[in-house]
Amino acid sequence: MPHASLPLSATASEPAPRPPPAPLLCIQGLRKSYAAANSAVLEGLDLQLQAGEYLAVMGESGAGKSTLLNLIAGLDQPDEGRIVFCGTDLAGLDDDARTRLRRVHMGFIFQAFHVLPYLTVLQNVALPLDLLRTPHGERAPRALACLERCGIGALAQRYPHQLSGGELQRIAIARALVHEPRLVLADEPTGNLDARTAEQILQLLRDQLHATGAGAILITHSATAAASADRLLRLAGGRLAARTPLAAAPRT
Amino acid sequence: MRVGVACLAASAVALAPRLAAATDAHAADSAATAVAVVPGRSLQFPRDYGSHPQFGIEWWYVTGWLYDGQHHPLGFQITFFRVKTDLDADNPSAFAPRQLLIAHCALSDPARGHLWQDQRIRRAGLGLAQADEGDTHVWIDDWQLQRRAGPGGASLYEARLPAADFTLDLTFSAHAAPVRNGEGGFSQKGPAPRSASYYYSEPHLSVRGSIVRSGRRVPVSGEAWLDHEWASEYLDPKAQGWDWVGLNLDDGSALMAFEIRDRQGGFYWAGGSLRDASGRTRTFGPADIAFTPLAYWRSPRSGVRYPVSERVRVGPAQYTLAPLMQDQEFDARVTAGALYWEGAVRAEAGGAAAGSAAGSATTPAHASAARILGRGYLELTGYDRPLSLR
Amino acid sequence: MTRAAQPAGGTAWVSWRLLIRMQLREHPVRMLVTLLAIALGVALGAAVYLINADALAEFDRATRRVIGDADLIVRGPASGFDERLFVALARDPAVAEASPVLDLQVALSSPPRTPSTQGAAQARGGSFGDEPLQILGLDPFRAATLQPALIGALAADVTHLFDHNAIVLSDAAAEELRLRPGDSLPVAVGSETRVLQVIDVLPTDAYPDALGIMDIASAQWMLGRLGRLDRIDLRLRPGVDLARFRARLLARLPAGVVASTPRIENGRAATATRAYRVNLNMLALVALLTGAFLVFATQSLSVLRRRVTLGLLRALGVTRAELRHALLGEGAAIGLIGSLLGVLLGAALATLVLAYLGADLGNRQLAAIGASFGVHPLAMLGFALIGTLCAAVGAWLPACEAARRAPAAALKAGDAEPLIARLPTTAPGLVLLAAGALLAWVPPVYGMPLAGYGSVGCLLIGAVLLVPRLTHSVMQALPSTGRVVVDASVAQLRGSAGSATVSLAAVIVSFSLMVAMAIMVHSFRDSFDLWLVKLLPADVSLRAAPGSDSVRLSASEQQRIAALPQVARTEFQHQQQLYLSADEPAVTLIAQDITAGSAADGLPLLERATGPVPPGARSAWISESLHDRHAGEPGGWIELPLAGRRERFFVAGVWRDYLHPGGAIVISRADYIASTGDRTATGAQVWQRPGADATAVDAAIRAQLASPGAVQVLSDSQLRERSLAAFDRAFLVTYALEAVAVLIGLAGISMAASATALARRGQFGMLRHLGLLRRQVLGMLACEGILTSVLAVASGLALGALLSLVLVYVINRESFHWSIDLSVPWSELAALSVTLIGAAAITALWSGRAAMGSDVVRAVREDW
Repeated sequence: MPHASLPLSATASEPAPRPPPAPLLCIQGLRKSYAAANSAVLEGLDLQLQAGEYLAVMGESGAGKSTLLNLIAGLDQPDEGRIVFCGTDLAGLDDDARTRLRRVHMGFIFQAFHVLPYLTVLQNVALPLDLLRTPHGERAPRALACLERCGIGALAQRYPHQLSGGELQRIAIARALVHEPRLVLADEPTGNLDARTAEQILQLLRDQLHATGAGAILITHSATAAASADRLLRLAGGRLAARTPLAAAPRT
Repeated sequence: MRVGVACLAASAVALAPRLAAATDAHAADSAATAVAVVPGRSLQFPRDYGSHPQFGIEWWYVTGWLYDGQHHPLGFQITFFRVKTDLDADNPSAFAPRQLLIAHCALSDPARGHLWQDQRIRRAGLGLAQADEGDTHVWIDDWQLQRRAGPGGASLYEARLPAADFTLDLTFSAHAAPVRNGEGGFSQKGPAPRSASYYYSEPHLSVRGSIVRSGRRVPVSGEAWLDHEWASEYLDPKAQGWDWVGLNLDDGSALMAFEIRDRQGGFYWAGGSLRDASGRTRTFGPADIAFTPLAYWRSPRSGVRYPVSERVRVGPAQYTLAPLMQDQEFDARVTAGALYWEGAVRAEAGGAAAGSAAGSATTPAHASAARILGRGYLELTGYDRPLSLR
Repeated sequence: MTRAAQPAGGTAWVSWRLLIRMQLREHPVRMLVTLLAIALGVALGAAVYLINADALAEFDRATRRVIGDADLIVRGPASGFDERLFVALARDPAVAEASPVLDLQVALSSPPRTPSTQGAAQARGGSFGDEPLQILGLDPFRAATLQPALIGALAADVTHLFDHNAIVLSDAAAEELRLRPGDSLPVAVGSETRVLQVIDVLPTDAYPDALGIMDIASAQWMLGRLGRLDRIDLRLRPGVDLARFRARLLARLPAGVVASTPRIENGRAATATRAYRVNLNMLALVALLTGAFLVFATQSLSVLRRRVTLGLLRALGVTRAELRHALLGEGAAIGLIGSLLGVLLGAALATLVLAYLGADLGNRQLAAIGASFGVHPLAMLGFALIGTLCAAVGAWLPACEAARRAPAAALKAGDAEPLIARLPTTAPGLVLLAAGALLAWVPPVYGMPLAGYGSVGCLLIGAVLLVPRLTHSVMQALPSTGRVVVDASVAQLRGSAGSATVSLAAVIVSFSLMVAMAIMVHSFRDSFDLWLVKLLPADVSLRAAPGSDSVRLSASEQQRIAALPQVARTEFQHQQQLYLSADEPAVTLIAQDITAGSAADGLPLLERATGPVPPGARSAWISESLHDRHAGEPGGWIELPLAGRRERFFVAGVWRDYLHPGGAIVISRADYIASTGDRTATGAQVWQRPGADATAVDAAIRAQLASPGAVQVLSDSQLRERSLAAFDRAFLVTYALEAVAVLIGLAGISMAASATALARRGQFGMLRHLGLLRRQVLGMLACEGILTSVLAVASGLALGALLSLVLVYVINRESFHWSIDLSVPWSELAALSVTLIGAAAITALWSGRAAMGSDVVRAVREDW
């Protein structure tokens, strides 16, 4: 088993992860093109992300933001280049191993929330713990704690169709963080929200990332959203261009 | 196998060994159409060696002692019964069961401890089962007993019975004319003269031949006794069963004695004959005969208790009968509806076991010194229930 | 998530639970329908199996009681054989025991019955009047060894059986005839009535069917069989080689007398009914197959429908294999529950059928009585497994498809219902069609048309694979109407031709099978009707106690009937069973008025000898089944055992026969009389003089009969009606299966409609936003429904016609060994098609209405 060294189960990752000496994520010369589009979407992209770092990636529609995210998540495979996550080269893993890596170490936040309508809020948040086969007794308390941190502990027994968009995205954030991943991938998490709610959500995300020490990549075309990150890169022409960190920039 | 062939009540008479119990209503009907046994008819040979189909019941009964090459003693029994049914009188079918034939066949082997036994019942006819009228020739499929005149006119019988687990293949030769029992062959079975049979015996038959047990054929020789008896009305309704003995005595004489018991188990009737070595025959009446049980044996299969050792008084003489082995019970319920004990016995001098009380659970110990007077067969019937075959 | 803990395989299990929960919550009805489809298929299969198993078990039990522990059974023709054969066999040194048996079907002579018993006899399915009673004449002493169970059940005293008229009845017979010990039982023998005396009734467990036992001697005498036997059961001595002895015996037996083993005897019964059983089972499996297609359709649609959930699960870390297992498990779960339900339903159905129709389902070939019901846990488990497997197979492709799909796309906001854009290639479909066509020519395996069934399977799957291409081409070819509703429907269907396969598959499969079966049954019924007309040419039919061995029309009776003033013409015939070979079932010999010249008038001839009849030769016409079994060729010779001699007959032709599964041979009655001297007849055709009154003729004929109660006098038209009624009863099961196919087909259509309607709620909302009237949207849906179903019906009709050819010319021919002429039930098919199209339109409308509920406009914003 090539990935035997990886802490693949929740129990194995129980000891709090110490900051690894290497970067959390290291991408070199990433290329990806689709048969449908004649030109490559990503052309030799490089990226390094430190543990606990919160990175925003901006870009035009079709610039390849989602492609980048899918490649990092292991949902898709690059034509060329290396993606090393937690010291493991994704290229050396088959789909199952990548999926397990994702299951243990990554969290997802979507524009369309994708909260399952037939599960309660608590069950939705506990879903990653279910999939990781966390001991039964721990699942509900951990999910509830996570919900409370996200400010929606009171909604635990409600069903999604009774909730607003902001509340749904809070659930999504709780679900992304409940199993204490090392990396959270957020794809336009505020795209379906009004400005005020978006701001609250971004604040929550930032707070929670810092609280848990998880690294994150936020993909957005909103400058406001990007501004909440520690670092901002712009994806254009298939590569990432560095921008000044905007952490100190004033927010509206 | 619960074969309901048992209890041939309609054919009535019996099917039980030797004597039959013509006691029920059917038997009476049957007797009405069968020829009655009357005194004064003298037996005609060789005609009377053959079958008498006009009488209700008839049997040929051969019992005797055999010795194999190592001189181990064995007992054997070969019986053919003929029963008149009086049914289907008009039926032209070749299968019409006017006469039934039954055969019992047994071997007493002390090494085995109980009988090898087999039995058959068939309707007479089609040449497959038949009792000839001219001379003794009776067979059921491949079981058969046949007589012919031997040297000097004495009887010579051949018997061949391939049974289920054993085969008897024997010849018996007589050295004298048959003994006519009772009054010249008219043998009364109760106080009423209508309870009677025609009855002769051929004692002291020399046996030669072979037996097959477990697939092994062994030559044997010995001495046997043949009874041929036919009747229409048999056992008196008050009678329960009988004890019968036939002994080939070492002094050359031959003794037959029977006692018929009443329903309470007490004495009802008796009779017997003794032919001495010179050929003179003496007949005994009820007063001359007494059977006294000395030891009982209870069958573990049927639970029936038989007096397997008895003291027999015949006129002035006394004999103590000791069985070759205790378990010589024949289960003929499937063909004759009866259980009986038919066993090889030694006759010892009268006083030998005189002290043993009747009802003692054990066989009396035979003093090795007990003087053996002869050998023969003891038959005990009606010990399970009265031989009323309903 | 506080449900019971699961031990292992956690992730797939969690996903499975999630998916099932989602299905149950979102599409309970769809799941239920799928479940019911599987349940129905399994139920039918299980019911048919149970009924057949019961019938066979009864038959086997009866055979075993009657044959007992015999090593060999020697049997003769219906007229029996000389009893001296028994003597010879009983004396054979190799034979340990020989038991002579008379085995007769004895007609009851105007029995002492009440109207209720008559009703009971008819309810038992006797299509032609009262059934004869089987009477065994035995020698209880010899039978005791060979039939211990039967003899042992006789009350203790067998000597009572020796009374010349004594009979012991089995419990079933006593009950059926309402007789008790002491009652008398008049039977018809020859042209007389004999009265038997019931002396005893066997306990219920002794023998399952109606049976009488007599002593062999009284049976010979009372039943007019002096000197004759029908059967001898043999037990051989230990160490005798059975096969060698049988060969030796066969060489020595008189002509027409055969020796078989109990295995062969049982095998004959099984063979006679095997084709029928296999057919029913296969039809049940077809229902199951339709169920599997339905699972396929449901799962495919639900995979499309749940793409977001599936994508989310993938993103959250569920591997492909785990997802596939979860989806497969989902299908299997539906299958398992459906199958268990089906097994229960099947058992209930079988009990019901056995209680009301009897185990033979109206089919005389399976003439077993009694409705005791065995439990067959293993077989039932098998059916549950088959059902589950079918469902899993149905779920397999969609599961793989779902696992293969990239999850990222589904998770993008605003993702629309994806269309299966790529049309599958036509090659596999064409290959399967070709294979199906080829398989139809492959000969049967072990007498069963397995290749024929294979052909049906290939044709079905091949056709289904070609549906998308067909849909696409048809929709492409449709001209634009300029009407937005119609054009939108066509465009939708053209675009979704790939997914059309999915929704259409179940419909086409079930409809085409429905069509094929309708054509086959109709063809059979038509041919049967024509055949009856040919075989019943006169006005009145006389049948001497049908099926009995004891009643005959004597020569004088024949003369008196022929001389009646009302009668214009008579044709008497003599039928009896005989054995051509030891291993084959009994053949029916029919001696009737026929000549080489007139054969075509009296017989439905299929083939004739090409050459002339050789001078001096006697002619025989053999039935199709005998021809199939190579018993003879037209122009060749056939040997018939007549009166214990082998007689050579010229095979002058082959005729169609629907009555005798074992085969039948027609010869001239003059030849029969010349060979056997037997002038009696078992039946007649009577033509009345013009103007004669039918009831008067009937009465006049009856007046000539010595035992009128034992002879059936029926008008030919009555007989024809009864026969057709019997036919329809026999095909009751087929009709039931058809009804199920219709149900499943309709369920498929409505599910497909509702699924697409639901899936396109967003689209409807958008159209409503654009200004389409609610009515117009519904119209569009109805239009789509009609287009889809017309397509389904058209392909179903074409495919069904193709399948019916295989059914009629391959499967039927090879199963039953009789041919039928193709005849299409146009009106029936038209009615079916219209019903289906109408139902499709209605369900499409109905589901559209449901889909366009209050929140349809809101559906534009979110697509789920």
